[in-house]
Amino acid sequence: MAKIIGGIGTSHVPTIGVAYDKGKQDDPAWAPLFAGYKPVADWLAEKKPDALVFFYNDHATTFFFDLYPTFALGIGERFEIADEGAGKRPLPAVRGNVDLSIHIAESLVNDEFDITTFQDRAIDHGCASPLPLLWPHAPDWPGAIVPIAINVLQFPIPTAKRCYKLGQGLRRAIESYPEDLKVVVVGTGGLSHQVHGERSGFNNEDWDMEFLDLFVNNPDELTKLRHADYIRRGGAESVEQIMWLAMRGALEGKIRELHRSYYLATTTAMTVTLYEPV
Amino acid sequence: MNPQLAGLDDLQGTYVFDLRVSHRAMKLNRFLWNMIGAPARDTFKADPVKAMTEAGLSAEEQELVRKEDWIGLIRYGASFFVLEKFARVAGRTNLEVYAMMRGETFDDFMKTRRVPECR
Repeated sequence: MAKIIGGIGTSHVPTIGVAYDKGKQDDPAWAPLFAGYKPVADWLAEKKPDALVFFYNDHATTFFFDLYPTFALGIGERFEIADEGAGKRPLPAVRGNVDLSIHIAESLVNDEFDITTFQDRAIDHGCASPLPLLWPHAPDWPGAIVPIAINVLQFPIPTAKRCYKLGQGLRRAIESYPEDLKVVVVGTGGLSHQVHGERSGFNNEDWDMEFLDLFVNNPDELTKLRHADYIRRGGAESVEQIMWLAMRGALEGKIRELHRSYYLATTTAMTVTLYEPV
Repeated sequence: MNPQLAGLDDLQGTYVFDLRVSHRAMKLNRFLWNMIGAPARDTFKADPVKAMTEAGLSAEEQELVRKEDWIGLIRYGASFFVLEKFARVAGRTNLEVYAMMRGETFDDFMKTRRVPECR
C-alpha cells in the first residue's frame, strides 16, 4: 500500500522561479531563500519519495474564468510548464503518474468529493516555482507529481475546512493505492502578502508565526477562520494559505516540524516547512 | 453577500474578485489572459487598438489598457492574475506594478521593503 511519509509547506512566489532560472543562488539578496530550501531538498533526496502530491493554485493560466474549477486533479505522463507571458522556462516537463492520479480521482469521487480532472494542460508557477528548489531536474525529475489545483482566485472559493477535508480524502486515496509508493504532500502558497490594490505590499509577520504554530498544534482553529479573516490578517492573496490545510488534512493527527525557513524580502513572506507524521 | 467575505467593507485598497466582478469584466480579463500566448502578444504589439477592438473591449477598457493604468484596471474589475500577464508584455515587473498601484515611485516603494535589492 502507498503511504504518506511527510508534508511540505512552501510559498509559490513566481519570482522564486525567475531567480532560479537566472542563477541567483549565490546573490546575497536571494541566498537566504535558496538556503532555506536546502534541508528540505536533502530530506527528499534521502527519503526518495515516488510522488509529490501538490495542492496548489492555478493563476488563470491552465484555466480561465469562463470555466474555473474549484478543485481539479491533473492526469498525464508529463506536465508541461506553462508560458505565463514571459516565454517558456528552461525546465523539462514534470513527470506524472497516470495510474496514481486516476486512482486518486476514483477514490475521491467515490468518497463523495467530486473533483474535476484535467489532461494535456500545462501547469503554472503555483506548482512549478518551488519545484526545482525541492527536486533536481537534470537529467530528469526523480519522481512524479500529482497536481491538485484549488480555486483561490475567483470567489466563491472553497472554505478552509473544505480544503482540510480534501486532504483527509487524499489520505484515504493514497492509503488504498495497492503499490508500495512513498508519497509526500505539498501545500503551497503564502504566507502573508497582497498583490493587488493600494494595499499591495501588506505583510503581517506576527500572524505568519501564529499561523505556522497553529498549523502544527491546532489546525482546527485555522479551519474555522473565514476567508475575510485570512484577507484581513495576512493580506488578500494570503487566503491561498487554505491550501496548506489540505496538506494538513492529509497528515491528520500529530506532526513534527523538522524545518522552518521564513524569508520576507520584498512583498511575500517566502516560507518553506517540512513535517513528518508522529 | 458571501458570508465568507462579510466584514471587509472598511478594508482600504482591497478589491475582492468574485463572480459578480468576473462576469462584469469578462472581456477585459479574457483579453489580458490571452497574453500567455505568443500570437496574441505579437498581435497586440503590432496594433494595440485593433487587437483590443477585436477582443470587444469598450472605449473605457481600451483607455485603461493603453495608459497601463494598473490601479484603474484593478478598480474596474481586472484580476491581478491576468493583469500580471499583460505586465510582462508591457515590460513591467510585478514589483513595479505594486508600486504603481500604491501610487508610489518604484524607488520609494522599494525603500519600504526589508531587502530592496531582492528583485
